[in-house]
Amino acid sequence: MSTLALRPPRHQADPRAVSWWTVQSLLLAVPLAAAAAAAFWFFSDRPLWLGLVVAAFVVICLVLALVAPRAYYRVQRWEVTDDAVYTRQGWVTHTWRVAPMSRIQTVDTARGPVQRLFGLADVTVTTASAAGHIKIEALDHEQAARLAERLTAITQATPGDAT
Amino acid sequence: MTTAQEQEILPEQGGWRKLASRSVAASMVMSVAVIVPVVVVLGRILLGENWSFPAVAGVNALAAVVIMAAVAVYDLLRLRTTRWRLTDERLELRSGIAERRHRSVPLDRVRSVDITADPVRRAFGLAVVKVGTGEHTGESKELTLDPLVRPEAEELRRTLLETERPQEGTAAAADAAVARLDWAWIRYAPLSIWTFVGGAIVAGALYKLLDVLGFNLVSDGTLTQAWSWVRAHPWLAALAFVAANVFVGLVGALGLFAETWGRYRLEREPGRLRLHRGLLTTRSLTLEERRLRGVEVAEPLLLRLGGGAKVKAVATGLRKAEDNETEDVAALTPPMPRELAWQVAAAVYGALPGEEHPVLLRHPRAARLRRLRWAVAYVVVLAAAVGVLDAVFTWVPVWAWAAPVVALPVALGLAVDAYRGLGHGLGPRHLLTRSGSALRSTVALDRSGIVGWTVRQSFFQRRAGLLTVSATTAAGKGHYDVLDVAQDEGLRTASVAVPGLLEPFVVRR
Repeated sequence: MSTLALRPPRHQADPRAVSWWTVQSLLLAVPLAAAAAAAFWFFSDRPLWLGLVVAAFVVICLVLALVAPRAYYRVQRWEVTDDAVYTRQGWVTHTWRVAPMSRIQTVDTARGPVQRLFGLADVTVTTASAAGHIKIEALDHEQAARLAERLTAITQATPGDAT
Repeated sequence: MTTAQEQEILPEQGGWRKLASRSVAASMVMSVAVIVPVVVVLGRILLGENWSFPAVAGVNALAAVVIMAAVAVYDLLRLRTTRWRLTDERLELRSGIAERRHRSVPLDRVRSVDITADPVRRAFGLAVVKVGTGEHTGESKELTLDPLVRPEAEELRRTLLETERPQEGTAAAADAAVARLDWAWIRYAPLSIWTFVGGAIVAGALYKLLDVLGFNLVSDGTLTQAWSWVRAHPWLAALAFVAANVFVGLVGALGLFAETWGRYRLEREPGRLRLHRGLLTTRSLTLEERRLRGVEVAEPLLLRLGGGAKVKAVATGLRKAEDNETEDVAALTPPMPRELAWQVAAAVYGALPGEEHPVLLRHPRAARLRRLRWAVAYVVVLAAAVGVLDAVFTWVPVWAWAAPVVALPVALGLAVDAYRGLGHGLGPRHLLTRSGSALRSTVALDRSGIVGWTVRQSFFQRRAGLLTVSATTAAGKGHYDVLDVAQDEGLRTASVAVPGLLEPFVVRR
């Protein structure tokens, strides 16, 4: 039916991102599953049906924690051309963002404590819009630094206040 | 700035100037607002303690004098410690009695000058000047000179905004009024939800006020008496209550309109827009045109049914409305007839002579189906909630089930109306988008003000071949969306609106 579409951006996150996101999601999923199991064991009469529900919940938590990062890695893409920064993300809802070089105001790189262990960094590009920052997640930290340098150089060369 | 002006502006050493000393007198008059409640409360307490009347009067007079003196001394100290100056490059303000502050604003950062005068200050010929820089950082974004004498305030406004644009286009009709108040527009004032809840709010505020002043209606037994009267005549009471509510709301809406929009005038000067308004408290707001990124025509449901609309500016660096301000700072017009609102909007965004309004394209029927589905889903959730309550609690009456039954046609009606409202189009210089039912708004966004695109497509939109294209911008709310547009049309519009931005990423499938 439709003939026009947005093509996926060229690059993916660093492959190490999968391990990082897995660690992150396990940090959330394991306590959640443990809490559910503990609550079942200590605070109920341990009926069989509830046991099955809790078991299913625990399995879903762990499976999601292992599968979601891989799916995320596949949909998360980015690209920087000479004129624009372009990203895509989202699994159920796809979101494409594009910002022209000439309107970029700041370029930041950020590394969380866990992220640092994996040698990864995020690059965040902001424009003058209150609604418009673009985040390129989980790049190799040296690549991220080079990218930030390049973006900064280009944006500084652009005159005007980018509004 | 000419040297002659400079001489005029730099009369004191180093160019530092004082605020208007008449402010002390104005503050003393305004202190009455504090004195009256204090006197009332004090009087009640002391009379309750069986003090003699002369003693009470004496204590009250003393209290009034002390308060007035304190206010005067504070204001005097404030005036003595505050100095400001205007140099060729910057506007500076030194202030603070205990903690000294020095603020400085480069003149080329000045984005708006707002002159306000409440009735007391007006009587003294004073005005408060707020200079906005349009920056989002810092806790106090603007520099406030409180107060200056009126001519000085006007002079400062002229100087601040003229350093930017020296005598350009003086041939353009100076003082060309874009819109002027027509008191007939006051008929649109009650077309707001506040008219219907206003009475209740006023009653609540009145109760609170009386409570503070020491009259508690509950302990007085006034409310109990009123309640027993209500029990005796339920229908009459309901009627009286509704009538009183609407009456208070109506009076409030009319009064608010008159106070906010009295003397309203919107002018276009070369390079800027000037807005004057206010019957008692006068305001004058100057907005630089280069900060304007477009214009919005807002039609809330009730106003729309009455054939009215309001115009708002889509501009960068407009400060947030303060608590005591009754109107959005972006508002350019009061509620006015729809056709006129469109004319003002066209004049504000500088439509070229003969430029037509772009025709808004309608969105695919799939967008209507989506809205109808949401409406049904909303009613189903409501019915489920009533069902759960009914099953769990015994007190749920049968007529609670009327809620989802009534909600269904309303929700479906709003859904159809919301779909009818959807539209988008491209003008020679603008991207137009319209959406909303309860709060319909049509935005014309300057295409050169678009600083990026966000395209969203949910799972359901993907199946329906729709997507939502939002243009990000530095102005207004930050992004303006074209909701549920056909995939092809949405991507084409975005590609054409800003050449070369989205285009390289759009492929033919």
